[in-house]
Amino acid sequence: MQSIRAHLAESARVDSDHVHAAAIVSEQTPATSPVVVSPVSSFRERLESVGGHCVTVRDEDEAARALAGIVSELQAKDGAKRIALSDALLLTVLTRGITVPEITVCPAASDLFSYDVGISTAQAGIAETGTLILEVEKERHRLVSLLPPVHIAIVKSGDIHLTIGEALTALRGDDENSLSRAITFITGPSRTADIELTLTVGVHGPKELYVIVIDGHDAGNQ
Amino acid sequence: MEHLTSETFDANARAALNDAQLRGALRNATSLFGKRRLAAAQSVSNWEDLRTQARRIKDETLLHLDKYLEAFTSNAEKAGAQIHWARDGAEANEIVKRIVRERRGRLVVKSKSMTTEEIHLNAALEAVGVEALETDLGEYIIQLAGETPSHIIAPAIHKTRYQIADLFVDKLGIAKTDDIATLTATARSVLRGKFAAADVGISGVNFGVAETGTILILENEGNIRLTTSLPRTHIAVMGIEKVIPHFADLEVFLKLLPRSGTGQHLTSYQSLITGTKRAPDGEGPDELHIIVMDNGRSKMLAHPTTRQSLACIRCGACLNACPVYQQIGGHAYGSVYPGPIGAVITPQLIGLKKAAQLPYASSLCGACREVCPVKIDIPELLLHLRAEITERAEVSGQRSETVKRKAGERMAFKCWAAVMTRPRLYEFGGKMAGFLQRLIVRGNRIGKVGGLVATLAPPLAAWTGSRDLRPIEAKSFRQKWRERGATVRGGSAS
Repeated sequence: MQSIRAHLAESARVDSDHVHAAAIVSEQTPATSPVVVSPVSSFRERLESVGGHCVTVRDEDEAARALAGIVSELQAKDGAKRIALSDALLLTVLTRGITVPEITVCPAASDLFSYDVGISTAQAGIAETGTLILEVEKERHRLVSLLPPVHIAIVKSGDIHLTIGEALTALRGDDENSLSRAITFITGPSRTADIELTLTVGVHGPKELYVIVIDGHDAGNQ
Repeated sequence: MEHLTSETFDANARAALNDAQLRGALRNATSLFGKRRLAAAQSVSNWEDLRTQARRIKDETLLHLDKYLEAFTSNAEKAGAQIHWARDGAEANEIVKRIVRERRGRLVVKSKSMTTEEIHLNAALEAVGVEALETDLGEYIIQLAGETPSHIIAPAIHKTRYQIADLFVDKLGIAKTDDIATLTATARSVLRGKFAAADVGISGVNFGVAETGTILILENEGNIRLTTSLPRTHIAVMGIEKVIPHFADLEVFLKLLPRSGTGQHLTSYQSLITGTKRAPDGEGPDELHIIVMDNGRSKMLAHPTTRQSLACIRCGACLNACPVYQQIGGHAYGSVYPGPIGAVITPQLIGLKKAAQLPYASSLCGACREVCPVKIDIPELLLHLRAEITERAEVSGQRSETVKRKAGERMAFKCWAAVMTRPRLYEFGGKMAGFLQRLIVRGNRIGKVGGLVATLAPPLAAWTGSRDLRPIEAKSFRQKWRERGATVRGGSAS
């Protein structure tokens, strides 16, 4: 710190634009999208453009059917047998229609490596990027969303922000303690292009990402 | 692979120029990244405003870096992080080793971090019997091969899939394959075992938010999420310049960094970590240690020109845009920071003496400045460093080859200035040069290479060593202009 201060003091002497540049900078309002599009359709378009799957449903019953449909598809395709759930209450309702040999809520980290599918909800989304926002203190989904090769997430349309800026403002909140200690932004499946710049999905995180957006009147649309 | 240093840049570069495979890979990578960057920049309407805002945020932070660092560290501590200050790389490595030792750690998983590459953390850990494993696919490949990264964003672009396959056959005992998906899956399964067993996870930091104490790390693969979620202890190593004032400032950088680096609107994952978990039985590590490291950075604060080096957000866009990097790749720079930004940062970090050739590794074309998301004037910095090198050499009375050449250059430029400020002398000189060029053109080779001069006599041979020169025209521009003027006037009068 002393050396930082010493060098800063020196810079104050040599720097003619010191006063000018000291103007506070971060109070510009973030630019919002000029075009009014439905957040859900923009979210879906962005998510699909990075290789994610998106299903829009009107209510929880439809969400449960969509979820069961995705799971049976995965059973037929990859032989998915073991499903790990986060501790979100909503999931106990939504997973009733699923029939697989094993469904476990929050398995131990060491066991999670051998699960085929992880299901969680997301606390929010960002329309302009097709991004899910997971707040770890609100749900036990840090590993469920990361270790199994498939992640299915459920998000309500009312929680989808238009822009990154709006999402950051909501996350930051008003007082010191409102910010979650660990937040993950997820945009599509895990990817790499480290070998010959060839896109490969599922290098360390999930190969596939499914998002079910509940877009109904009870979803609290903005 | 032999160890390359910045001191041997000229030789490194020459060797790279003869490596056809490397140049092919570089051509693909730099042009692809360049095109993607351009398309991504055009996907937002206010790209120039974003660049200006980002630079203002960085300037504001750097001018009051002490204040923002204090806010960052005290807010991170309030949220449960432990802060460690490191004056240099050796101190940072000692701190990491102590933390690992106190937890009886044997295996450390690492996510990609230029800062830990800069201080050779892996070697320091291995020296005390701790296995430090890189988990980013590209970094994992080059660690297996015993090499260093050749690009900030794509560390292993210099290797082909066949070389990587041979490496995996040799080191991991897999059956030979040249299928990229199979190679990637192999790395996934080997590394998963390591993630499960690791005692400590070490990451870098892209941004540290002063007002909340949050660190933000961007990635595509998911290895950073694993590194910062699974082991009980997380150590984050950050340079002092990574801090920004406000949480809301992240928006600008989240728009600029992925677009400039890989051409994505957003990378697959961002981890925003603020201290440690509130609930003891919650998910994630029990401890977060943040090492705030100077290692030569604070020196750059002292001058407005050098200070802008610290605005860099490590996107790699200047590498892809640079005609020098495009030809020679990252290893030639002999430093973890290659390309234009490396040519200005490396000499400032390790000293001008050890990297005196780097500020000259540029044609000053300005392409780096055009693409830089935080508007760093890299050509200005290169000239600043060149001036410093020349001044120092003169002060210390060195009479090296370079300095002698510089003295000759200075004389030549004085003559040039004298001629340029006297129009008649200039015109006369031009005519004379037209006649005289036959004498200095060695072997009378005008016309041999498409009408260009291929070789001049020394000392001008230094120029034609790597370029051809256009011969002086028989008629000067002024002469042609006068003749043309006469014709036009004559024409309009009739």
